[in-house]
Amino acid sequence: MNNNRNDFRSLELTVGDVFSKDARLKARNVNVFYGENKAIDNVTIDIGSKEVISFIGPSGCGKSTFLRCFNRMNDTIDSCLVQGEITIDDENIYNKKIDVVPLRARIGMVFQKPNPFPKSIYDNVAYGPRIHGLSENKEHLDYIVEESLKRAGLWNEVSDRLQSPGTGLSGGQQQRLCIARTIAVSPEVILMDEPCSALDPIATAKIEELIHELGNDYSIVIVTHSMQQAARVSKRTAYFHLGKLIEVGRTKDIFTRPQHNKTEAYISGKIG
Amino acid sequence: MEQNHISSSFDKELNKLNNNLLKLGNTALDQFEKCINNFGTQNLDEIKTVINTDKILDDLDDKVQKSGFEIIALRAPQAADLRRVIVALKIATIFERIGDYSRNISNRTKLLIDLKYTDLPGVNIGKMGQKTQTMFEDVLDAYINEDDNLAVKIRNSDIKIDKMHTEYYLEIISHMQRKKNFAPTGTHLLFIAKNIERVADYVTDVAEQIYFLVNGHVLSDHRPKADKTSLKIPN
Repeated sequence: MNNNRNDFRSLELTVGDVFSKDARLKARNVNVFYGENKAIDNVTIDIGSKEVISFIGPSGCGKSTFLRCFNRMNDTIDSCLVQGEITIDDENIYNKKIDVVPLRARIGMVFQKPNPFPKSIYDNVAYGPRIHGLSENKEHLDYIVEESLKRAGLWNEVSDRLQSPGTGLSGGQQQRLCIARTIAVSPEVILMDEPCSALDPIATAKIEELIHELGNDYSIVIVTHSMQQAARVSKRTAYFHLGKLIEVGRTKDIFTRPQHNKTEAYISGKIG
Repeated sequence: MEQNHISSSFDKELNKLNNNLLKLGNTALDQFEKCINNFGTQNLDEIKTVINTDKILDDLDDKVQKSGFEIIALRAPQAADLRRVIVALKIATIFERIGDYSRNISNRTKLLIDLKYTDLPGVNIGKMGQKTQTMFEDVLDAYINEDDNLAVKIRNSDIKIDKMHTEYYLEIISHMQRKKNFAPTGTHLLFIAKNIERVADYVTDVAEQIYFLVNGHVLSDHRPKADKTSLKIPN
């Protein structure tokens, strides 16, 4: 193809606008190492306030590793070293004074496989507010549980069996329970790591609808292998390749006229 | 299509779409070329061939529409692939439409033979047709080579056809005013000239689609136009 728009092919810098006018999370020159292996290479990006952004890229490109930097989940891996700076509302989250427990309430996470606690539906959602001391009394806690389940689109399906075990729900319901559990502690940012990969299309559609609604109140970062999902749910998309952030842009631009030939090759299913 | 997809069957489907589109384009060009020649030679057998061949264009257009629709439904093409499919669907419709104009010109040429009117005005509709034919040939080359510069050049050359059309239109009307029994022949000549002008417009639309295919955005500036026939009353 006569691609006169790909003159920058040789450049290693990220293509597109990595910055956001209303940034909530800021990552600056972030490198991540697993021992000798550099998994993330000099990534800079902003996550805007009330923005849904997707991270896409082939397996092993570092998108999940990078996502886990935002709430210091990589701290749990001994060989993992994070360099650079990540801030939330201009506060460095890698500051030694930062307590990761409240940090992870502010920056919640939903995982690939639904992982409800082996507790009742009610206790799954009430767990966070209890340990973070967010409820004033039992009535207030009931209110938080109900509101969280409502916001997660699960209330109507479970309101009559709140004391049943969370693990007894279907996969899609379990994932929405995990989302309810995440939003029960009033986070500012929700990180989602392949939240629908274990779900059928109907359960996936419900989660996507939920992401769409939650995007009005939270910043949401979603790692997904499904490009259609990225296209459906996010306003902005970031493409990672071999630990580098190749391109960031409006989702509608990335999927119709990506600037970088690597992005084009990946989203088109070409041999890159 | 420089780079192969991981799924080779996707490549085959895109190639099939592209091959049918090119076949459609080449057949439409062939039809147009013949109808312009026949306007000059007035060879009745050749005229009938053009009229009867139009069905092939309809069938090829159906094939392109069907395979494009299936690719969108089953492959969810992205970026350049998406543009290729969308552009193919649009261009195929245009080629098929050009075929309709060639058939219409041929039908009218047949009637001109029947009318046997000899005192014709000094207009060279054949020349206008040949210039349009050259634009059509160029636009097929621009598509095959994804040459957006050539596409822009073709688009900007449409104004010459517009000017010729306006000039011929006025001349034919004036001739009709002078020679009343020329009216039936003159009316068909007006339609033939208008049809050629419309074909040039369609070729220009194809050129704009090629620009979009290559660049991912539409040509922003307005297309130069000079067809004034619908705006002025002949003297």
